[in-house]
Amino acid sequence: MNPNGTSTTEAPLVWSRYKFPDTFIRYASWITVFVFLAYCIEYLNIPLDRLFGMFGRMGDTLANRYYPPDIEYIMDGEYMEYVVETIQMAYLGALFGLIMTVPLGWCASYNMTPSRRYVYPVARLITMGCRAVHEMIWAILFVSILGFGMLPGVLALTFFCTGFAGKLFAEEIEAVDMGPVEAMRSTGANLFQAMAFGVFPQIRVAFTGIAIYTWDVAFRAATVVGFFGAGGMGWYLKRNVLQIETERVAAILISILVLVMISEAVSAWARNKAMEMK
Amino acid sequence: MTEEVHHLPLMTSDIILERRRNSRIVQTGVCLVLVALVAWSVQVTIIDDTDWERMGSFANVLEATNRFIGIDFALFKDLIVPTIETFMIACLGTLLGVIICIPAAWFGAMNITPFKPVTYPIARMMMTLSRSIHEIVWALFFVAVVGLGALPGIFAIAVRSVGFIAKMSAEAIEDIDPGPVEAIRSVGGNNLQVLIYAILPQILPQVLGVIIFEWEINIRRSAILGLVGAGGLGLVFFRQMNTFNYHGVMTVIIAVLGLILLGEAVSHRVRRSII
Amino acid sequence: MTILKVTDLHASYSTSGPEILKGITFEVEDNDFFAIIGPSGAGKSTLIRCINRLVEPSSGEIIFDDRNVTTLPRGELRMLRRDIGVIFQEFNLINRMSVMDNVLSGRLGYTGNLRTLFRAFPREDIDHGLRLLDRVGLIDHVDKRADELSGGQRQRVGIARALMQNPKMLLLDEPTSALDPKISREVMGLIKQMATELKVPCLCNIHDVQLATEFCNKIIGLQDGYMKFNGPTEDMNKEKLDEIYAMEVL
Repeated sequence: MNPNGTSTTEAPLVWSRYKFPDTFIRYASWITVFVFLAYCIEYLNIPLDRLFGMFGRMGDTLANRYYPPDIEYIMDGEYMEYVVETIQMAYLGALFGLIMTVPLGWCASYNMTPSRRYVYPVARLITMGCRAVHEMIWAILFVSILGFGMLPGVLALTFFCTGFAGKLFAEEIEAVDMGPVEAMRSTGANLFQAMAFGVFPQIRVAFTGIAIYTWDVAFRAATVVGFFGAGGMGWYLKRNVLQIETERVAAILISILVLVMISEAVSAWARNKAMEMK
Repeated sequence: MTEEVHHLPLMTSDIILERRRNSRIVQTGVCLVLVALVAWSVQVTIIDDTDWERMGSFANVLEATNRFIGIDFALFKDLIVPTIETFMIACLGTLLGVIICIPAAWFGAMNITPFKPVTYPIARMMMTLSRSIHEIVWALFFVAVVGLGALPGIFAIAVRSVGFIAKMSAEAIEDIDPGPVEAIRSVGGNNLQVLIYAILPQILPQVLGVIIFEWEINIRRSAILGLVGAGGLGLVFFRQMNTFNYHGVMTVIIAVLGLILLGEAVSHRVRRSII
Repeated sequence: MTILKVTDLHASYSTSGPEILKGITFEVEDNDFFAIIGPSGAGKSTLIRCINRLVEPSSGEIIFDDRNVTTLPRGELRMLRRDIGVIFQEFNLINRMSVMDNVLSGRLGYTGNLRTLFRAFPREDIDHGLRLLDRVGLIDHVDKRADELSGGQRQRVGIARALMQNPKMLLLDEPTSALDPKISREVMGLIKQMATELKVPCLCNIHDVQLATEFCNKIIGLQDGYMKFNGPTEDMNKEKLDEIYAMEVL
């Protein structure tokens, strides 16, 4: 076909956007999704007509019952103690979780696991299991076994963080450049040494990022585990929700918000420091 | 008389060792402080706070754990409806979240936000707010406002997802190649045409991937929203705990895990076919 | 007949930034293949982008087809842009879309919002697009994704897209800088051929002076935002070239 020449085809040129069966499959999938979503709305009895009225009601409730927030309630010393305890629970949970993640993530990584047939699937299962169970369920389970208090809270956060960080950690290890590891192995190093000198230097920075992310998530969860009896400011939340002290609830929510924002600022700073050190 | 012109100390092993020793002292110092901090925290939170007597011995704890081991098979047929409900809450919640994300991502992307000093900070604030508040807290709020049932759950999931999806989408929009935008403008296209032809095709794979990822996480979240009255398996879990039917509790957890597994499988396949 | 008249054009990228164009004046007739040459940073790209106001001029006048470009309100600016086709250095195609969809996007200025949503272009547009694709030699690649094509092929899609607009003038922003020399010649030849066939004047920004003298009938030379030469190609000689490119020689 001459790129600078004139048309050499005599037949009339036709073109259609719709190519069977690709287009049919695509449209069929989208239609299925929409039909399913419409069915969901029907099944759950969502009153679409009343939906917009609800926004008005929401604004109403917020203005009348949640405002003004009872700030004095959260400024008192006992609440502050609970806040400090929440922070402690959060970093203990994150810390222990990260400590457990190091061996667990290592075993759950396909390239560095000691045994692909036995250790890898088990480690993967444990990580996935810890992660799949919501941190609140962990909290309820531990409270049921150990009673109220902060121990179940810390344990729940630990298990959750192990799963959460474990998956990320294993993925980081799997993405590592195997060159240095092979070099280590060929000097006669065993798996542990290969791990320590070949893999760790490469993932050090990523691990810091994972640690910071884990802390963020742990802290958010820690503010609420108290709702189910596992210690921390969540307990205050539950009490006031049950007693329908909405202005105090608003104050507690504000305190949670402020704390999380401070935590976010600290994380952002820590992440920047980590970037610099790289 | 010649002065020593070069005063640079020669790098000897002594100097290196001394530097290492100094840094090691600092490192050890920091570690000790951290360990002390942790020990203090453990003391305050766990050791002081726990009612050791009520907890009993290790054997008691084991026995308490053992109570959970077992499945209540009779419960399975009662789990079908709540499981479907949980799945639907996750789907509708994610959908609503995506709808809210459209303006949020538009305002939150520095290159296409309509009025930078006002709309950009608003969008960023919305995203941070959404991510900072735990879904249980959102659920509590919506239950208080719209009542019990699936609806508050859907709202809670929607609002919780906005943060992540909008943030990722805004970042994708900020990373686009401006060439196609210029091309569509040069052809005489209006803003909508620039959006559909130049911006959307560039960000679609990434945004869809993010949506499906968040959908999968939302299944996990929907399962527990029922604990505060927002519908789904959480409610069954709550009831089983209250009636001390521990095997029932384990059954519900298994149902949740099954649902999450399904979600993960679907998410994995769909995300692979998009890229 | 003059299709484009630029008078004392000044432009800078931001109000506090340095001035890129410092008073450019020239005219384009409706049978011209006009070249803009000059060293990098002379303001060639900025000049091209001022014509359809992708860059806002800070002062001066641009009259295109008896319309004052610099003072047009938004809606009329869009209609003006419909009449000016642009071919870009980096092709600026929609990579994930098919060749056909890319060519059809040239008609977006004439397409309503609803049609845009469903990509439902009228039959005449589709036929026109097919004819243009045939003319540039890409009729066998109609359904391929734009990023599956080679550089030369992509630019030809760009040519087809620009001509879909039935433009009154073509702006070319270094159309061959991203292509290798042999393909560059082919593409420039194709553009010149089709522009002559369809009687569309071209204003072309070229880095390669040889291509400029070969294909274009009139030249202006820019250096550091000033116009150093404005005249027919025959009048261009080595001394004048050296004057324009003096900075580069240094």
